[in-house]
Amino acid sequence: MTIIHNRPLDDIAETAPTLAGNAFTRAFSGGSLWRLIGMLVLILILGFLTIYPLAMLLYGSLHSTPPGMAGEFNLNGYRSIMTTQNLIVLANTIGISLAKTIPSLTIAVFLAWIVARTDTPFRGTLEVLITLPFFIPPILTAMAWGMLANPQVGVINMVWRWATGATDPLVNIYSYGGVIWHMCQYSIPFLFLFMVDAFRAMDPSLEESSRMCGASRWTTFRKITLLLMLPVLTSSFMLSFIKGIETFESALFFGLPAGIKVITTDIYESINHRATPDYQYATSLSFAIMGLMFLLVIWQWWMLRGKSFQTVTGKGFRPSVMELGPWRWVTFAFCVLFFFITVVLPIGQLMLGSFFRFFGFYTYDMLTLEHYRAVFANSEFWRAVRNTMVLGLLGATATMALGAIVAYISVRTRWRGRNLIDSMAWLPWMMPGMVLGVGFLWAFAMLPGPIPIYGTIWALLLAYIALGTPVSVRVMTGAYHQLSYDLEECSRVHGATWAQTMWRIMVALAWPAFAVGWVLTFFGIMRELSASILLYSVGSETLAVVLMKLWANGNAEQVSVIGLMMMLLVIVFRWVQLSFIKARISKL
Amino acid sequence: MTTNTSMTSAIQKWSRRFFMAAAGSLAISAAAGMPAFAQDAEWQKVIEAGKKEGKLILYTALVGQPSTKQIAAAFTKEYGIEVEILEARASEIRERVRVEQAAGRFAADVMFTSEGQTMLYDKEDKSVDPLPVTPNSQKIGDKFKLKVPMASVMTIPYGIMINTGLVKPADEPKSWKDIADPKWQGKILSDDPRAIGAGYLWFFSTYDKIGEDYVKKVASQKLVFTRDQRESQRRTARGEYSIYMPVIMTDFSDLKGLPVKFIIPEEGVPYVLYGNVMLKKAPHPNAAKLYLDFMQGPVVQKIYAGLGYGPVLPGMTEGLPADVKAISEAKLYGTTDTTRQNEMLAKSKDIFK
Repeated sequence: MTIIHNRPLDDIAETAPTLAGNAFTRAFSGGSLWRLIGMLVLILILGFLTIYPLAMLLYGSLHSTPPGMAGEFNLNGYRSIMTTQNLIVLANTIGISLAKTIPSLTIAVFLAWIVARTDTPFRGTLEVLITLPFFIPPILTAMAWGMLANPQVGVINMVWRWATGATDPLVNIYSYGGVIWHMCQYSIPFLFLFMVDAFRAMDPSLEESSRMCGASRWTTFRKITLLLMLPVLTSSFMLSFIKGIETFESALFFGLPAGIKVITTDIYESINHRATPDYQYATSLSFAIMGLMFLLVIWQWWMLRGKSFQTVTGKGFRPSVMELGPWRWVTFAFCVLFFFITVVLPIGQLMLGSFFRFFGFYTYDMLTLEHYRAVFANSEFWRAVRNTMVLGLLGATATMALGAIVAYISVRTRWRGRNLIDSMAWLPWMMPGMVLGVGFLWAFAMLPGPIPIYGTIWALLLAYIALGTPVSVRVMTGAYHQLSYDLEECSRVHGATWAQTMWRIMVALAWPAFAVGWVLTFFGIMRELSASILLYSVGSETLAVVLMKLWANGNAEQVSVIGLMMMLLVIVFRWVQLSFIKARISKL
Repeated sequence: MTTNTSMTSAIQKWSRRFFMAAAGSLAISAAAGMPAFAQDAEWQKVIEAGKKEGKLILYTALVGQPSTKQIAAAFTKEYGIEVEILEARASEIRERVRVEQAAGRFAADVMFTSEGQTMLYDKEDKSVDPLPVTPNSQKIGDKFKLKVPMASVMTIPYGIMINTGLVKPADEPKSWKDIADPKWQGKILSDDPRAIGAGYLWFFSTYDKIGEDYVKKVASQKLVFTRDQRESQRRTARGEYSIYMPVIMTDFSDLKGLPVKFIIPEEGVPYVLYGNVMLKKAPHPNAAKLYLDFMQGPVVQKIYAGLGYGPVLPGMTEGLPADVKAISEAKLYGTTDTTRQNEMLAKSKDIFK
């Protein structure tokens, strides 16, 4: 399986010479004492961000009452989740998540390959457009799909009935298919974004060699392209599958009317819809799920151990695209179809609806700009935009920096503790958001009085960093897996310091992945509600909180206006980012 | 000596009686005339102190209502006290208050929430203070003077909504009982009665007042469940279903122009009573007292009545447009009882499988 021969990792890390420089440089490059201190600091940071809130939740699962209330330790929470009913719901949840992850991953791989590895026309524009649904709040796309595909008066079904004369509907969004479809709307763009730069960084000479040896295009794709992508693919699968287990908006919106139950709706109910919130039940159930998910992480380690997936080496890295000939119009058509179904249909509804008094009532006398006016005149909205921008910029940058360091240590060194930090960075992904939000609340509020985190904007920032770390580490891990060690060595041999090497090789070559991770994290922060609602204080409202308030009050049209503005921002971000990537690649 | 002793004791007895009588009459006279004066003076002190505090931190579980800000602005205008508002859904905000207090962070002064939640704040979390007696607190309707420490403010009424394009005027349901008519089978969108919320409120009150048979009959109507109040109103308006129930009656004004009609059922409207509680160790206790009082006074009561909510102060609906007045004055049918919640939720889950 090892495609490029490399010296053992131990050689590289252990024989690195001690370098002068600032404390940070020394901490991660030099003597073992400094390295030890550096690692300890990193473990402390990750411990505070991930282990501490989870420890509070673990307490909650083992104690009859939540922190701060008199009670006793017992296992009632774990006992109460052991029911046949829960097992059925769990099986159902896993089934739904698999049913969405497998097609999502397949489509995302195909799209990433088309955009990054072929000469499909307009692929630059398509790259930005096909990811748009990911950045829209799920409640909005849910509403749009509810309007498009409800069995009674859904637009698609009306057109179908009109065109065919049929009486039965063509599609029904309130079904298993609907739940899965709505989840796919988010996982396909997410996976695409997550993988596309790994595809871009592939060395085409490997594919060419395969073709020269007589392998067909399909065999080459399967045996070379996909295999080289194994770290990214397995990470993608896990991120998407675990998220699929935890997502609940789709199930709540489309599953409830059809009687579909998933684990997270059960957790949601135990916190929000019982006489008294049952935190012991909710946390116990979450930990049980987390245990199962960790098996997946172990499986990934087992899959990837001892293998190398380097494609970016010192030997003439020359990313180029495959010429598809007339087939490029087929791939183009596929992208356009995908764009039409997942973007034009739902977002078109939102856009259209934002100019009318009510969604779905498109008559001349209902035309209005009042929703735009209301949003622009809403001072709370602007305050939230400011807060969210500050939190997003700071949070995404800090998260990616942390993720890059963790990924670097876990992939490219043999330092003791690297597996520990890698698994610590996974933890927040495995806890359903609404439960983890409670964990942050308990953790930050229970800090000793003089530590001023709770009730300040710092509480939000720290929670966002913790929530974003799993994705940032995965993105950077994938990128570092692809960089060959000879690049680092070459730089060092030529007299560059560790910091220069990091900057010129590890940062410069991995920065497209860094940028994608940054955008994912930034918009993750923009959308985050579960923790925000429990941690925000007066004056530090975030955009998600304002959206929730507007939605709760029935201002769906105003929520759409904001959703569309968020989407515009994405287009700008992605355009800037992709222009930079292009400029860089042409320099190479 | 004996005589002397008995005389002394007689005098003592007499003087004690006299003193008691004097004190009693003084108390009576105080209760008759002075007290208003004394109370006024007391209240004046609260006003002074509240103004000095200058600020009020309000937590509210009534999310996204523009009226909250309108009321806060009116309060600031009246007393010069700034109001800072933190909004979150009932279970979230309750947990925040509980954890904050457990950690010794007494951040909030007043919590605007429902009667049922107040019982939990009081009995389980022990996070609220007893209610202060304020001038307006004695003027509200007796029905709204509660055992739990909540200063009642208004009721949220729930009724039936129909799509006028799908339901002919002659067929319109007029009462909760009409919902059980088999002609509505598969045509009703309902808030989920198996979880705390509007659907459960309907279940609780009709189960108690009409009976289990009725609820079972409705259950056999193949109701379609939802948990999103506002979106469900839109779905019904767009023609997915003929009926949506129970609907928050005060939303009628937001949906003007859509083919829908809000119906006040003949039996009356199930309701949720909202009010304020004073949180323990409030950082601005006097401002909090002023706010509690202000919310029960005519300014705020008229604001709520004007939106269709049921005021707790009598005589607030005078001069309102007929449709708003009808909703604001709708007969209150029933509400939930927190002490019976586990039992009733289990029942609902059993009936609406």
